[in-house]
Amino acid sequence: MKIKDLISLSINNLKRRKLRTFLTVLGVIIGTASIVVMVSLGIGQSELQTEMIESFGSLTTISVYDQSMYDMSASDKDKTYMNDDMLEQFQNIPHVTGVSPILSFNAICRQGAYEGRINIQGVSNEYLKDIELGQGDLSDIDDKKLKFIYGNQVKREFRNPKTGEDYWSTGKEPDVDFNKPMFVVFDTDKYYQSVNGGTDENGNKIKMPKKYIIDTLGVVKGGPEDYNQYCYGVYCNIDALKTQLKSIYRNKPIPGQPTTKKGKALPYFVYNEAKVYVDSMENVMDVQKAITDMGYMANSNAEWVEQNRKSMQVQQAVLGGIGAVSLLVAAIGIANTMMMSIYERTKEIGVMKVLGCDMGNIRDMFLVESGFIGLMGGTIGVALSFIISKIINFMYIKNQMSAEGAMMNMEAVGNISRIPLWLVAFTLFFAIVVGMAAGFFPSQRAMKLSPLAAIRNE
Amino acid sequence: MNDILDKGLEVKNEADNEAKALISVKDLYKIYTVGTNKVYALNGVSFDIFKGEFVAIVGTSGSGKSTLLNMLAGLESPTKGTVRIAGKQIEKMNEDQLVAFRRNNIGFIFQSYNLLNTMNGEENVAMPLMFRGVEKEERLRLAREYMKLMNVLDQAKHMPNQMSGGQQQRIGIARAMVVQPKIIFADEPTGNLDSKTTKDVLKIMQKLVYEQEKTLVMVTHDNNLAGYADKRIRIVDGKIVDIEYGSCYKYSNGGEENA
Repeated sequence: MKIKDLISLSINNLKRRKLRTFLTVLGVIIGTASIVVMVSLGIGQSELQTEMIESFGSLTTISVYDQSMYDMSASDKDKTYMNDDMLEQFQNIPHVTGVSPILSFNAICRQGAYEGRINIQGVSNEYLKDIELGQGDLSDIDDKKLKFIYGNQVKREFRNPKTGEDYWSTGKEPDVDFNKPMFVVFDTDKYYQSVNGGTDENGNKIKMPKKYIIDTLGVVKGGPEDYNQYCYGVYCNIDALKTQLKSIYRNKPIPGQPTTKKGKALPYFVYNEAKVYVDSMENVMDVQKAITDMGYMANSNAEWVEQNRKSMQVQQAVLGGIGAVSLLVAAIGIANTMMMSIYERTKEIGVMKVLGCDMGNIRDMFLVESGFIGLMGGTIGVALSFIISKIINFMYIKNQMSAEGAMMNMEAVGNISRIPLWLVAFTLFFAIVVGMAAGFFPSQRAMKLSPLAAIRNE
Repeated sequence: MNDILDKGLEVKNEADNEAKALISVKDLYKIYTVGTNKVYALNGVSFDIFKGEFVAIVGTSGSGKSTLLNMLAGLESPTKGTVRIAGKQIEKMNEDQLVAFRRNNIGFIFQSYNLLNTMNGEENVAMPLMFRGVEKEERLRLAREYMKLMNVLDQAKHMPNQMSGGQQQRIGIARAMVVQPKIIFADEPTGNLDSKTTKDVLKIMQKLVYEQEKTLVMVTHDNNLAGYADKRIRIVDGKIVDIEYGSCYKYSNGGEENA
């Protein structure tokens, strides 16, 4: 018997008992829809959390901190400062695609009546390229000339020293324009001493240190209220920053940099933080462990995601299990329908056997029938769950939005119910398998029915 | 189709070698145990049926005639004895082999027609060909051919519940014919029909035997109907009491002729 004949025979049989077929299919629809919706909620929740973590920083980046810099007890020789040599060792760890040191330096920035303390972060060009800019671009990035990228919340740091007005007291952003010349004072100690009228050891008045006009390369994307990982800092190319600092301090120790026991400057720059980029999320934990073994403190968002994933897996399994119970009930429904159908068609099956229908074909006919119930229920169930998912998401986001103001956008907003393609494929496959499994024993029974039933005359 | 014909030839050659008879029954017993009693439904039956014969198995209800037919068609297994059809001992086959054997060699006409209610006339006729894996177009073409022969081509698109009993039985006969079987078994084929239709159907069956050279075995309780057959095997209490030869209603191509 040809497969297409088998299928059309089975579909004909389903068609002739429309109401019963519909009710059985309805059971499967409810079963599959509940599985898909439940699992989609689990996936949505887990992905939302991942996205939230991602908004704090990339998931493939490891932050490395050097604690020895602040450890006064250790002798100079013991100290393994994080310098360029060390970064090269990080670079050689497998799966590491790049390393960016972060040279942190505090400076004062002035424009018009306003002045603000800024935290300059000297980083590599690769690091800079990851920053999403709201204005300006990185095309004229330069290793020689110092240019700044300002975080979108940096304006809040400015205050008017004469009136004492600032963002926090007026609620308005200070009138600072990054596109106009910005005057930067690097030697903050001297600046404050000069402003406060301090004197040096010889009793001379300390002169105002030199102010530099630094070009603006761009401003980080986002409004004054929007949080992101770059919103507070001022970013620039690390080599340009090094050159600038060296020219200001000559051979004197640079503030923030460790010194030898005698108080002399070290011949190299020491970084208190570095970013290590890893090729994929799966390898982050391995690389992180390698760095920790080298004696540094390292952390990454991938850690969170890992923990998060484990707890979510349990939750997803529970949700899926609840959905699966309703599909199990539907499977019993299918088995019942098939048994009824076989009792009704005893004579017909007998006739087919007398006329030479293979036993295997009879079994297959019933398997196709029950599998088809599963397929129909699965298809409609998946379609239904897309609709339910839309409704849930609509309600959820609406709810989130109204709660948003109070919560100060600390939680990521997005769809709570997500149906990935693999879930659709898996559910359809599963529905068919469940249908056929439910039809297995009835079909065996049909196959073994005696053909004599056809001869008996009622 | 060629395949089917080849198989037929092959079987026929074997039959020629082993026995002249198309159906050969020897010492057939069927014993049912009811409680502690043994009931002999068939009590040592032997006979031969040759190619091109129209045979009637006649007996009252409970005589064992239906049991005999079931065994000839491989629907029931005998307690003892052999049934050899076209050189094959069918009592030794398992169920799968029996189904395949019926599919390739046997047509069946039922008392209650047993048409499938979900299919229309031509689909019902084509059903046995579907079991053989014949393509839809080809099998429907063949089905219509045999329906034309049975004079029910106008019922091709009708469902069984839209047809009269006579029409349904003609469809049933076409269904038995469409596979070009070596043997056709008919179990009380006119049991549910009125007398005029009965006559029509019996004449059709005669026509099959004489014009299509089929071998037909019919079970009936009606002596009068058995008169249409060339050979009548009378069964009483599981034993053959008499075998008569010669038809009471001679077949002629044109009208009818009463003896």
